Amino acid sequence: MSSDHGVHESRHPTLKQYVIIAIFLFAITIVEFVIILPEDFRGQGWTIAPLAILSAIKFAAVIFFYMHLKFDNRMLTWVFLGGLALGFAVVLALVGLFASWTPSPRAFAEDHAKPCTLDHELGGCLEDRPKAAPEPVDPVDQPPSEEGRTEIDPEEPPAPGGLVEIGRQVFITGTGQGAATPCVTCHTVGGVPEAVGLLGPDLSHIGTEAATRQPGVSAEDYIAQSIRDPESFIAEGVDRATPGLMLTAITAGLADEDVDALVAFLMAQQ
Amino acid sequence: MAHQTEVSHHAPEEEHPTSTGINNRKLLMWVFLSSDCLFFGSLIATYMVYRGQSLVGPYPVDIIDVPITTISTFVLLCSSFAMVRALAATNENRQGAILFWLLMTAFLGAIFIGFQVYEFNLFRSEGLRIDTNLFGSTFFTLTGFHGAHVTLGIVWLLGLAWVAKKGRLGPKTALDVELAGLYWHFVDIVWIVIFTLLYLIGGFDTGPAGDPSLVPHSITGFLGLI
Ligand code: HEC
Repeated sequence: MSSDHGVHESRHPTLKQYVIIAIFLFAITIVEFVIILPEDFRGQGWTIAPLAILSAIKFAAVIFFYMHLKFDNRMLTWVFLGGLALGFAVVLALVGLFASWTPSPRAFAEDHAKPCTLDHELGGCLEDRPKAAPEPVDPVDQPPSEEGRTEIDPEEPPAPGGLVEIGRQVFITGTGQGAATPCVTCHTVGGVPEAVGLLGPDLSHIGTEAATRQPGVSAEDYIAQSIRDPESFIAEGVDRATPGLMLTAITAGLADEDVDALVAFLMAQQ
Repeated sequence: MAHQTEVSHHAPEEEHPTSTGINNRKLLMWVFLSSDCLFFGSLIATYMVYRGQSLVGPYPVDIIDVPITTISTFVLLCSSFAMVRALAATNENRQGAILFWLLMTAFLGAIFIGFQVYEFNLFRSEGLRIDTNLFGSTFFTLTGFHGAHVTLGIVWLLGLAWVAKKGRLGPKTALDVELAGLYWHFVDIVWIVIFTLLYLIGGFDTGPAGDPSLVPHSITGFLGLI
């Protein structure tokens, strides 16, 4: 920092200088905006350096001219830069600490996550509400469920393609005739780009694995049971599962057709 | 030390000499701003640590609107310019101008807050609340505290404007305006940092489904900065 100007004329810049600084700040902001204007540039790693440098220049222009640190007692500059450096060190330390921490924050969050279907009207999760929901579901759900499923599976050879496709949609969106938390939130299925959830087991090969879960329970029955009544049996040794996370509340809203379609879709994951 | 000679340099203002050669109130203001760097530093660090760690959406790319926020950034920059004009008018004892520029600064600050209220409401309606995901928590905490700083600044400026209206601001009390100005500009530079980090750089972050490599990316990207 040289003292070539400012010190001997006045402690504050002139109006003209202030205007120039204002225009300068505007111009930098526009350049920053232009950098991220092309869609291909957005969020690219290389944009970080120029954006950070431009912001640092703006930052310096404001503190040295608008806040006239440049024209003021030098000690003030050190007082402020000292705090700024400490603040920067705090950022570095925390980011470094968490970057090297295992499990990563996300893995930790996944391990401790609980299902939450956001209630947009009241806030909070639907799962936390007192369980008044089962009433409309139970009467519809139970009686036709056994027959409905046994009918469709063997009898409709041309349909499975359609049924599998419907099942895939329900699996991804969570909505069919009824509604559930989208299965993709928690489950990964190879070949389904949307399905990358990590909270539940990988279902890429559930079509074959399901038969091995419970002695005497067929693959289809096991899958259907896993969907209808997920809390009744929890498979052991399943990778990446957060045991017990798949709650009945998640799937209670599904209609029988949805369950059939889901079973067909999952049976196809060999 | 050389500071002794600088005491006389400040002589025109009626100050008692201090061992630092700096007016105590001004030093206090700078120490406060310095400490506020730590405050915002930790909030920014929290945002960075949890960047890209949200398990559910909405993610930044779904809701962050950079063009709108660029406009509100301009408004805040304009308010900083109005603030330096207010201080200049005070030093030159132009009573009408003092009042005008103080009110102008507060007005522009209020517009900025208006943008923020609009933005928060929009995000809320699009499903992002402070308890929705880590992005929502860190975003609203950081920008919310900044908004609170701006709001406090507006109240301060309106108070000064009231004093100005009574004709009590002038070269002798210029420090009153200067201190408010320091605070105001500081809030502006904090926004410069937030705007760059949360909007220009982080505003296009997708969720884990879109880009599983995001986590290492954000950290190496950040370390690459230094
Ligand atoms: C909140 C996360 C979550 C959601 C949403 C979810 N599941 Fe699950 N799922 C799990 C977990 C965790 C398990 C492991 C069993 C347990 O611990 O409850 C599981 C187990 C299963 C199993 C048994 C897997 C095995 O290997 O034994 C099937 C089948 C299944 N889920 C299907 C579905 C379907 C179909 C949906 C959509 C209607 C769905 N899940 C939605 C978390 C979820």
